[in-house]
Amino acid sequence: MADAQVTLTVDGMDVTVPRGTMLIDAARQAGVVVPHYCYHPGLPSPAVCRMCLVQVEKMPKLVPACVTAAADGQVVHVHSPEAKQARKGVLEFLLINHPLDCPICDQAGECELQDFVFQEGQAGTRYGDYPKRFNPVEDFGPDILYVPNRCILCTRCVRFMEDVAEAPVLNVSERGDRAYIGIDPDHRLDHPWSGNVVDLCPVGSLVSKDFLHKARAWDLDKTASVCPGCTQGCNVTIEARDEVVVRLRPRTNPEVNRWFMCDAGRADYRWMNRGDRCEAPLAIGDGRPVAHDWDDALTTFASLVGESDGPAVVLFGRRASSETIGWMLRLLDGRRTTAAIQVPEGPEAALAAVPNLALRRERSPNLHGARLLGADADWDAAIAALGGAALALVVDADLSDAEAAAMSGAARVVHLATVADPRLTTAALVLPVTTMAEEQGVYVNRDGRAQRYLPARTPPGMARPGWWVAASAWQRLGADRTVPATASEALGALPAFAGLDHDALGWHGRVLATAAAGRTR
Amino acid sequence: MAIGVKVMQRPDRGVSYVRATLKGMALTFKHLLQPKVTMEYPEQRSSDDWRISTRLRGTHRMLTDEQGRTKCVACGLCPQVCPANCIKLVPGEDEQGNRYPLIYEIDEFRCVFCGYCQEVCPEEAIHVGVHYENAEYSRDRFVYDHERLVAQTHPVSTLWDPADPRGE
Repeated sequence: MADAQVTLTVDGMDVTVPRGTMLIDAARQAGVVVPHYCYHPGLPSPAVCRMCLVQVEKMPKLVPACVTAAADGQVVHVHSPEAKQARKGVLEFLLINHPLDCPICDQAGECELQDFVFQEGQAGTRYGDYPKRFNPVEDFGPDILYVPNRCILCTRCVRFMEDVAEAPVLNVSERGDRAYIGIDPDHRLDHPWSGNVVDLCPVGSLVSKDFLHKARAWDLDKTASVCPGCTQGCNVTIEARDEVVVRLRPRTNPEVNRWFMCDAGRADYRWMNRGDRCEAPLAIGDGRPVAHDWDDALTTFASLVGESDGPAVVLFGRRASSETIGWMLRLLDGRRTTAAIQVPEGPEAALAAVPNLALRRERSPNLHGARLLGADADWDAAIAALGGAALALVVDADLSDAEAAAMSGAARVVHLATVADPRLTTAALVLPVTTMAEEQGVYVNRDGRAQRYLPARTPPGMARPGWWVAASAWQRLGADRTVPATASEALGALPAFAGLDHDALGWHGRVLATAAAGRTR
Repeated sequence: MAIGVKVMQRPDRGVSYVRATLKGMALTFKHLLQPKVTMEYPEQRSSDDWRISTRLRGTHRMLTDEQGRTKCVACGLCPQVCPANCIKLVPGEDEQGNRYPLIYEIDEFRCVFCGYCQEVCPEEAIHVGVHYENAEYSRDRFVYDHERLVAQTHPVSTLWDPADPRGE
């Protein structure tokens, strides 16, 4: 029986990897990036781009690193003159027909062709006078354009649709230098996960219509976050230009979403840029709202909570963070509280070849966190409980007209709002809170994995995170109480997350022991 | 200890200044007869032995193509390279699907006239110009918008060529 581990040398560095590891992965482990186009860790490797050719001692020819298994004692030279010469040739071939439209190409700045040509391509062209091949831009699907001139035929998109989404609508049409990516004439690229081909495309051949011409790659401020779309909790990067969120892209997490995210999640960012946000605490005096500072508003809030003895109802919006839910419930500790989180529902859409990855039916990122923290009432039951309630808190929930009308049943209504709602005429206090894009927080996904997200933009006006508002009011209701200084402290102070802080969650989150036990039960 | 005081020895009797006056008048008269070295600006702006360098980096100008459309494709390199952060650019898309600048503004007060924008421009659209007469009646007129940059007619700068450092 052969050893399970093999040791090889890559560019002078010894690495030990499991048997069967491809050279390209072994090289990455040694800290050497082998230039590549067709290889992607989430897709099968066909070795068509010939870009990852490396020299292996005692092998007669250069070998493609993405399909050559590492063997014991191998000596690999990624940057030997022969390997570099081969890759330079490949790049020269790719550039014969590649247009020089980087100034107007959306991929410029994050283009692998640009990167590798700058890294080891040749400076000039030897095909000066020949006209370049030209094909018109094609409309592939609701959000995807195909620019065939820029295509380098790495076939990542074809393999994604065929092997991962298992909806094979793309192929390589024609042959040789006339080849291009073709689409089934009877179909469009409208699979719920098809947006991933835009990310997978190493060049600007498949581009998103939504993002087209909006920003250059180097203008974007990227923030690690969690998709607020559904209970799956895909890791995403929020990319913003000048405080305006322009797109969401998947962030690799092997335990949750691998390299992918669905189109519904991708499109779900416009609400982050709303201009009609609530910016100052408003108290209703003499029938009209009057702006206050936080100190007055919090004192009013605390006295409203303190003087209401009777059942309380808390309605959380679908994107409420664990910190906000936990501290709102701590504020109401000791009274009969019906707390519910809003969970809109939609069709489920799975990504065929990846286990446990789908756009889920429950479209709330923190449904399981809310249950863990005790906000586990049925939404309709919570609405019904409004009649006769002494206090109702609406925490950034999207209410229907009937639900807004039902609010008049509660004696005191406080609206913690991102956007003011004129239908809530009985609200005594409107407090501006941040959205998930403007605060730090933790969501617990359907597998009980707590994942943190970071603020991507500055909150408008005086808006503050919901947990800070709740904790500040809570502080005013008793002696010797201190408001947590950070979201991380706010999380650690909650019994359900005791001992955890944001740093401990890392960038890939952590499965909570309590939540995991609850799930198996 | 006393400070060192220098006592000037002045003539103590009357002295004639006629000699010195005549000397000065002679110098003035000599200059009247010599060739002029000044130019009558603004009537005259250059002469055979004095003209503005073609490398001068003055206020900007945006060039257009044969159809009169702007050459700018809103690639975003000039705002990126600008050390003074004086270029504002918002890209857009026209009816033919071409990328063009929806908003392109240069704050000439903030500009340090380094010429990097001209150097970096892949489309040879934005240029610094050989132009220095920029007086305006209000400060906000110094934010040149795209229309104004296109309307400028002064010659554009040749910049400094490292291969020909003396401009020969």
